[in-house]
Amino acid sequence: MTTLVKPRTLFIGLSLLCVLAIWLSLALGPVSLPLMDTLRAALRLMGVPIETQGLEQAELILGQIRLPRTLLGLAVGGVLALSGVAMQGLFRNPLADPGLVGVSSGAALGAAIAIVGGSFFGGLPDAFGPYLLSLCAFLGGLGVTALVYRLGRRNGQTNVATMLLAGIALTALASSAVGLFTYLADDATLRTLTFWNLGSLNGASYSRLWPLLLVSAGVALWLPRRAKALNALLLGESEASHLGIDVEGLKRELVFCTALGVGAAVAAAGMIGFVGLVVPHLVRLLAGPDHRVLLPASVLAGASLLLFADLVARLALAPAELPIGIVTAFIGAPFFLYLLLRGRA
Amino acid sequence: MRLSASAIALVVGLLVNAGAQASELPQRWVSAGGALSEWVTALGGESKLVGVDTTSQHPESLKALPSIGYQRQLSAEGILSLSPQILVGTEEMGPPPVLAQIRNAGVKVELFSAEPDLPVLQGNLQHLGKLLGSEAKAAELFSDYQQQLDQQKNWVTKAQSAQKAPGVLLLLGHAGGKPLIAGKDTAADWMLQQAGGHNLATHKGYKPFSVESLAGLNPEVLVFADRALTGDAARAALFKENPILASTPAAKNGRVYELDPTLLVGGLGPRLPQSLVKLSAGFYPSQAKTAP
Repeated sequence: MTTLVKPRTLFIGLSLLCVLAIWLSLALGPVSLPLMDTLRAALRLMGVPIETQGLEQAELILGQIRLPRTLLGLAVGGVLALSGVAMQGLFRNPLADPGLVGVSSGAALGAAIAIVGGSFFGGLPDAFGPYLLSLCAFLGGLGVTALVYRLGRRNGQTNVATMLLAGIALTALASSAVGLFTYLADDATLRTLTFWNLGSLNGASYSRLWPLLLVSAGVALWLPRRAKALNALLLGESEASHLGIDVEGLKRELVFCTALGVGAAVAAAGMIGFVGLVVPHLVRLLAGPDHRVLLPASVLAGASLLLFADLVARLALAPAELPIGIVTAFIGAPFFLYLLLRGRA
Repeated sequence: MRLSASAIALVVGLLVNAGAQASELPQRWVSAGGALSEWVTALGGESKLVGVDTTSQHPESLKALPSIGYQRQLSAEGILSLSPQILVGTEEMGPPPVLAQIRNAGVKVELFSAEPDLPVLQGNLQHLGKLLGSEAKAAELFSDYQQQLDQQKNWVTKAQSAQKAPGVLLLLGHAGGKPLIAGKDTAADWMLQQAGGHNLATHKGYKPFSVESLAGLNPEVLVFADRALTGDAARAALFKENPILASTPAAKNGRVYELDPTLLVGGLGPRLPQSLVKLSAGFYPSQAKTAP
């Protein structure tokens, strides 16, 4: 595969794109703020002492609504794209996405349990109640992935093909359980469940943000250290182990990072499809399959893509809002078809 | 700079002159909840509405207002962009973090219960009346409402002495396809009861039925609420998609009635008594001439 862009150019371009996305995400919204107000409020948020005369609204909207939302978008987009790279590397298949190891369906199951069974847990203390959904989604994702990983192991070896099939089976199982909860749900909880499955960055708040930021920063710092090992894995498992790579350890790390990252992202923002699948493709198309470039570039590209998608989500129908999953799938699916058709030609 | 200072002074002056009463009451309203928006309108507050949610479909004129989306999936910034002073909605309104953000921005957020229950409605109307500065009108509307429902109840009791309560099924569907059957603990069930019908469905909530078991219940009356179509088109679609319904006693005797599905969400609305009258006239055709 020939690369279209040199890595350096790619990084500069993606960084600029990401900065642009961050700025637009802070500056644009249904409430139109004068550019100067946005700038001054942004400076104040960074701790620069500026007089606050007439800035209250801008500061509130920027600090309490747009900034947490932007950070959420950055973390979710980055970590989803990164997990996509990890999964495509692990399965050595460009069609792999984080859902394959069951993390998405597990999280959906956790969410369904929390939403539909929420009244059952009614006795929980108030401080805990709002986090029930996130916690259940996170644990559901982690649990199902752990199970898929266990099923793929035999005699101390992880068989990727078995893991893939176990992932498909458990996804089907989890989906049917979600279906059962859907059937049991009343009208109102059904709508909540539907919207959760479409994802949203709406209502981001700092208290929900910190766990995700920590996890995604950890994953984003850790995975690029395995770039060389992932490159070796592209040649095949035995080839990689002949090159001195601890293949079993690598598989474990990749699955663990994906479960952790995607679990946290889904817990914070609901299901957001296509980022994990399409972004690594896009970057590979531009810069080739070298994971040393692919991993960090995917973080930047995923974060930017999600912020742009969120801009569409919040502006297209303002003052109402589109679930972001609709936007990413709307962009992602045609792009994916394009890739398929291009490959055939 | 001096211009803006004098502009502020002017605005402040105008506000102070507008009088204490008016400036205390919220003037820019956003309503999330079909029945609530109808009540706000009935209380003369339509001109104060600056945005409504997707369930606010009545009166027709509300559709021209900016839509804030579905009541459970509100957007904080979207609502703030309408610069409202108050947001009213049922307890279904959310998500909670968004409501918190809206509150933090200094907008009053008032929650109302959507339970189909007269005392609840009375409390809601009193509260709305206070917020709109039309308490007398609210009291009047409620006593009318109560009277209508009382009349309805008396009429049903009388009708039932002459005719057994008919077995009814309420089908909630979309262009006729795969209707959900209204069971216990639903607004639909409450309405059927008030209209004097006997709901044959015994499950809780709205559930899909197999058409076979549907026909097996032998409903004497079918009530359909279609979200996509109205009138004869909805009726035709229902029988086209579920041909077995034609074998029910209800269909054979032509006792298939329509109900506006918007009546089933968001609690008791002002259009409810009228629809009850229509429904009960269908349930007790021999008594229909003396319908309340």
